[in-house]
Amino acid sequence: MMTRFNQLPTLRIDPTKKVIFNYKGKSCAGSEGDTVATALYANGVRVFARSLKYHRPRGLYSLDGECSNTCMEVDGIPNVRTENTLAKQGMEVKEQNVKGSAENDMMAFIDKLDWMMPAGFYYRTMHKPASMWPVAMKQIRKAAGLGVMSPDHVTPGKFDEIFPRTDVVVIGGGPAGMQAALAAADKGVRVIIMESRPWLGGFFDYRAAEYSKGKPLYSRARELAEKVEAHPGIRVLKHTSMVGAYSNNLVTGFQIGGEGDSFTERYVEIRANAVVVAVGCIERPLIFDNNERPGVMQVACAHRLARTYGILAGEKALFSVGHDLGLEAAIDLYDLGMKIACVADIREDGQNPELLLELAKRNIPVLKGWVVTKAHGSKQVKKATIATIDGTITRDFNCNVIVASAGFTPITGPLTLAGAKLRYDSHTNFFIPETLPEKTHIAGRMTGLEDSMAIEASGTLAGIKAAMDSLACTCCGSESASEGDSEGDSKEKSSSSSCCEACDDAALKAAEEALKALPGPSRGTKLVTAPVKGRKSFICFDEDTTIKNIKQAIEMGFDVPELIKRFTSAGTGPGQGGIPGHNLPLFVAKYEALSGVPAPVRPTTVRPPLVPTLIATYAGTNHIMMKRTPMDEMQRSDGGIFRKIGVWERARYFSDDFECKAEIENVRNNVGMLDGSTLGKFRIHGPDALKALQRVYTSDMSKIKPGRVKYSAMCNDDGCVIDDGVVIKIAENDYYFTTSTGRAGQTVEWVRYHTRYDGWDFNMVNLTDSMGVINLSGPNARKVLQKITDEDVSNEAFPFSAYKEFMVKDTIPVKAMRLGFVGELSYEFHVPSSYMVSLWNMLKEAGKEFGIKNFGVEAQNVLRMEKCHIILGQESEQRTNLLDLGLGFLWDRKKTDAKTVGAVALAQAEKDQTRFRLVGFKMENNGRAPKDGSLIVDDKVRGYICTARDSFSLNEAVGMALVESHMAKIGTRLEIFEDECGDQRIYGKVVPMPFYDPDGSRMKS
Amino acid sequence: MFGKYKPMWGEKTQLKSSYDAVIIGGGLHSLATAYYLAKEHGITDVAIIEKNYIGFGGAGRNTAIVRANQRTQYNVPLYKEALDLWPVLTKELDYNLMFNNCGNLNLMHSEAAMKAARMTICTAQYHGVESHLIDAKEAKELVPALNISEDITFPIHGAMFHPPGGIVRHDAVVWGLARGASKYGVEIHQQTEATAINTRNGKVVSVETDRGTINTSKVLISAGGYSASLINKMMGIRLPVSVLTIQAMVTQPLKPLLNHVVSSGAYHCYANQTLKGEIATGAHMDQWPNYTTQTTAHYIKHQAEALSEFLPCLRGVRFMRIWGGLADMTPDMAPIMDGNDQVEGFFFNCGWGYFGFKSCSAAGKHMAEFMANGEAPNILKPFNLKRYEEHKLMGETAALVTYTPDN
Ligand SMILES: Cc1cc2nc3c(=O)[nH]c(=O)nc-3n(C[C@H](O)[C@H](O)[C@H](O)COP(=O)(O)OP(=O)(O)OC[C@H]3O[C@@H](n4cnc5c(N)ncnc54)[C@H](O)[C@@H]3O)c2cc1C
Repeated sequence: MMTRFNQLPTLRIDPTKKVIFNYKGKSCAGSEGDTVATALYANGVRVFARSLKYHRPRGLYSLDGECSNTCMEVDGIPNVRTENTLAKQGMEVKEQNVKGSAENDMMAFIDKLDWMMPAGFYYRTMHKPASMWPVAMKQIRKAAGLGVMSPDHVTPGKFDEIFPRTDVVVIGGGPAGMQAALAAADKGVRVIIMESRPWLGGFFDYRAAEYSKGKPLYSRARELAEKVEAHPGIRVLKHTSMVGAYSNNLVTGFQIGGEGDSFTERYVEIRANAVVVAVGCIERPLIFDNNERPGVMQVACAHRLARTYGILAGEKALFSVGHDLGLEAAIDLYDLGMKIACVADIREDGQNPELLLELAKRNIPVLKGWVVTKAHGSKQVKKATIATIDGTITRDFNCNVIVASAGFTPITGPLTLAGAKLRYDSHTNFFIPETLPEKTHIAGRMTGLEDSMAIEASGTLAGIKAAMDSLACTCCGSESASEGDSEGDSKEKSSSSSCCEACDDAALKAAEEALKALPGPSRGTKLVTAPVKGRKSFICFDEDTTIKNIKQAIEMGFDVPELIKRFTSAGTGPGQGGIPGHNLPLFVAKYEALSGVPAPVRPTTVRPPLVPTLIATYAGTNHIMMKRTPMDEMQRSDGGIFRKIGVWERARYFSDDFECKAEIENVRNNVGMLDGSTLGKFRIHGPDALKALQRVYTSDMSKIKPGRVKYSAMCNDDGCVIDDGVVIKIAENDYYFTTSTGRAGQTVEWVRYHTRYDGWDFNMVNLTDSMGVINLSGPNARKVLQKITDEDVSNEAFPFSAYKEFMVKDTIPVKAMRLGFVGELSYEFHVPSSYMVSLWNMLKEAGKEFGIKNFGVEAQNVLRMEKCHIILGQESEQRTNLLDLGLGFLWDRKKTDAKTVGAVALAQAEKDQTRFRLVGFKMENNGRAPKDGSLIVDDKVRGYICTARDSFSLNEAVGMALVESHMAKIGTRLEIFEDECGDQRIYGKVVPMPFYDPDGSRMKS
Repeated sequence: MFGKYKPMWGEKTQLKSSYDAVIIGGGLHSLATAYYLAKEHGITDVAIIEKNYIGFGGAGRNTAIVRANQRTQYNVPLYKEALDLWPVLTKELDYNLMFNNCGNLNLMHSEAAMKAARMTICTAQYHGVESHLIDAKEAKELVPALNISEDITFPIHGAMFHPPGGIVRHDAVVWGLARGASKYGVEIHQQTEATAINTRNGKVVSVETDRGTINTSKVLISAGGYSASLINKMMGIRLPVSVLTIQAMVTQPLKPLLNHVVSSGAYHCYANQTLKGEIATGAHMDQWPNYTTQTTAHYIKHQAEALSEFLPCLRGVRFMRIWGGLADMTPDMAPIMDGNDQVEGFFFNCGWGYFGFKSCSAAGKHMAEFMANGEAPNILKPFNLKRYEEHKLMGETAALVTYTPDN
């Protein structure tokens, strides 16, 4: 194990506290604050993984997770970016996608076979002969993918979610972001700042260079961080990666829980008025031969490894950079004890002279206009070749680290997700926003600024702008004010002054001036690739895409970066395009310009999540939400077996006999009780209520008699039945109606929609949840009812199809209807939900002597089927209209003024002989009932079985089917095709409906 | 082995002033139609006009699930033909379309759903397409990652298992067909927008593009989600089509975990593993018409919640990217293929919603026949526009479709 610095003021590890975890079965020690990868690096691990296609050795490259180089399996979870995953006590860490180990991978020979695998080779191979493909496919599947997920893996940890609302959200906790947060919060608005690292500080955090006289940058970072964390107006979400941005400034991300947090990870969804994006830059990878060999790393990686984690990346480094930060790092790392072979700088000129002086003082050779062209060494860097930019002169240096970076490039993902259009800026060589979405501001390094003061000033300016976006004007009603989010008392505070915070642009002007006085965006380097052929120069590490592959794709006609990305897969791996993101369009533009067709330089599309996010985290707390009726508990204690139906849980059976013999027979012979509370229940009232009913119901609703129940249906414009239920006139211009369970949610909108141009005056109330329904059915039903009410419920006083309102025990207001869905004497009681339990108990008690029992939805299904009463969705489908169901009598042809929905279609359908028709059937030779959903066939499909059962009541198999209308004649033989029947068929015969109690005497007496 | 590379679909050429046929849109259906026009009917003087680049639309955004277990007898034969065509096209085009016929498992979460599935299964079996109803235990044997316990929102009752279905590499189909068509002489003009169709005496005479006018007597609009608005704008024909954004997403790549396409209506979610190892998952549509193709925060969360329940091991897997595309939905979830009726020489093919990938080869083949002969082949006749005027929906979906308030 190498020695680590344990005194540096910049350290983010605590060397006194050890963290022990398992790596490949052996225990491995790191310090608290280490990521898994830094701990492994400190333990001498250099080869972290093998690449996807060529199994090339891969090492630590950026420390920010821009590629899959350090992806490993951690605690059973594959593809964990160990370079930014904190090491924890007892973690299980394993390598993935290797045969053997990452160090000695038996698949490494594939690297030599790259000539067999040009861009898109898999499209052009392996399909000949056809029999080879299934074999090849198996191999491809095995080779593809990185980590392994076990099918019975259980993800450990607690996952949570929060949905905070704020005025300003600042993305990025670097100097610009922190200044933006402070400036906004000082204006009195609420601020949330998100930072993906576990600390605030950004790229000041690890740097020892001077911020101001005597004050290093890291001190400045800590000073700002303290201020931010202490500010009462700022909520700091550290270790929180922003992953998505959506319309109206909705920002999503996830936070990793630390010690003392109640969550492992939590989903964060922030609705903000204004957004400040200050996410800085990443280094644009330098492309050269073997540019991803372990030992090659980016500037900040080597620098942070030393400064943040106390590790020198190696003994001797060669620097190939295009930016002053590279020079600064070389100096600092030299001072920390690293030997520097030389610094090759892409730039011919323009370096900071002070840095050059410092390099000279240390005798570090600087070669301007030079670039590294090749890394040597099979598993780890041993030597580097550098060359002049034109490739004419070369030199070799021995070294075990190559610090390489072509320059910087802004992290534009958050901006494009928010809706910004990017354009290429040739001064900075950056993609910068052409336009920004409303109330979105950017600040910091991503704007091209390099000067520390300017970076901070840009943050302050953005913070002020964002605050003004979300302040309501309290003095002059000025434009800049956004609607209604100011604190209540600010009105009084500023009413005396001429200006309020929202309009006070003095601060804004000052911030603008301050920024203007500081150095502006600096010139960026344009080089993408060193002068190489590109066979082993990788533009995308995750997918092993080389420069050569890109050229091949372009030759094949893929001339847009987006298409090249698809064809070569560059940027589609777990690194989310971090490595090829901006290099690809820059390279393509350059390469295509050579052929004389300059195209606009546009980056490929970036998609959320910007950082790969666990499904467990997105799911958050994920509670099951179902509606339960007031009778839920009672039915459960009575042995009800429940099913989820739509948004509800309903009792479907009351015993293990799913044919429900006992339940059915009890309704037929004694009396049963069903919870029908899921029915849609509505009140519609007002002067035009009747007109609205006439519009949506097919029957003439003006004919509803007081004290009577009217059964009717609603159709859509195609005449297809969408709902059925009963309507009652409870008073003048006041109606109560029911809908099927499934339609309850849409009914109000349906009625409103179909009356939207009429300007009618009516109101609707959805009573579905506030009313419960009990269905009491069976020959003894009247006797039970009589016991709990003084009301005359005799057949004369309360006949079939009648409606009555009465009180039970002087307290429970009951709306009672005499219906006959199951074909027996039956009552439906609609009562306020809060009384349901009482009424249920009373009925149960009263019914004891008459053999009352629960029955569930399946028993009801059979009972009503025997009576040939339909259930929509069961005896109908999307294309079934009212006439097909034999319900034509529900359609009043005369009320044309009502413009009833579906009437036009029904009139047309009436002449159509080729529609379906609902029929009843019995099985031939006393055969068993066919399975629901079986087909009716001859030489083609003629219909299907809707519901069929072996009826206990009738002692034979009966059912209903939808068949082509020419087959609807009584006596027609039905050839039934069941699944898995092969050549076997069973036969039924069309019979009159209903099967049970055809004259209805049971239900009516 | 590989020499110098040639452009796959021909060198960029000038747009000519006239073609025998013009096809608007550079998606799957257009490319397939052009390919078959040239191959089967000798009509090779064809221009495909594509506003962006081929595969920009649904062709490049779909999740490439293929199957032939539709609900009605009108659809099954068409989709069966399409399913059978993947290996044939792979050979013909000499391009590996990477057909992975891993089979589709459609989960059922209630007794009612089992019945609905049985009808679909019977229809398939009746037409000689393999499809079976299996119980939850058997489903778990096929997909060990399934959670068949009772303690999830929608416990699994069983499934419809359709072995011959699977997934295909969607990009390969686009590029393969483009290459195949261009070999016969079809010209593919990218970055070219069609702006109008000119007619005279009830006949098509030319197509306007932003690169000039093209004289032609036959034009097909087959522009995926954009078709309905183009047909309305260019020909004044209003279609009962609602265009909605539909989203899909993939996880990071994994070693083989899911060996079948798994889908669930109740959870609004399907998942399958691509050959690259990513779990591709999607299904839910916006409930309001729009052309934005924007993704939404609630949807990726919904998907995570759903997968957490029925494929719980995926909780430890990370989503990598989500994207949106357009689904042009008809009221009966069946496409509209029609033409040479209102205006001579004008053909259209749209309404493929989120199921237009699996059908593209067969639909293109028969649309080509339609365009060549001027008369709709029998297999396409049920898909005419008139069915909506006659209020005779096709019944491809059992339940009422509720993606717009005005269906
Ligand atoms: C997220 C998602 C998942 C899906 N999953 C599946 C699936 O698993 N299985 C399945 O079978 N189907 C699926 N689909 C559906 C399928 O992708 C589409 O139905 C199908 O791609 C549409 O047909 P197309 O390819 O011919 O059209 P598209 O690819 O949409 O092509 C339309 C083209 O027309 C071009 N265009 C538009 N206007 C003009 C103009 N004026 N001039 C010239 N060109 C123009 C566009 O640029 C576009 O390239 C999915 C769709 C989406 C969005």
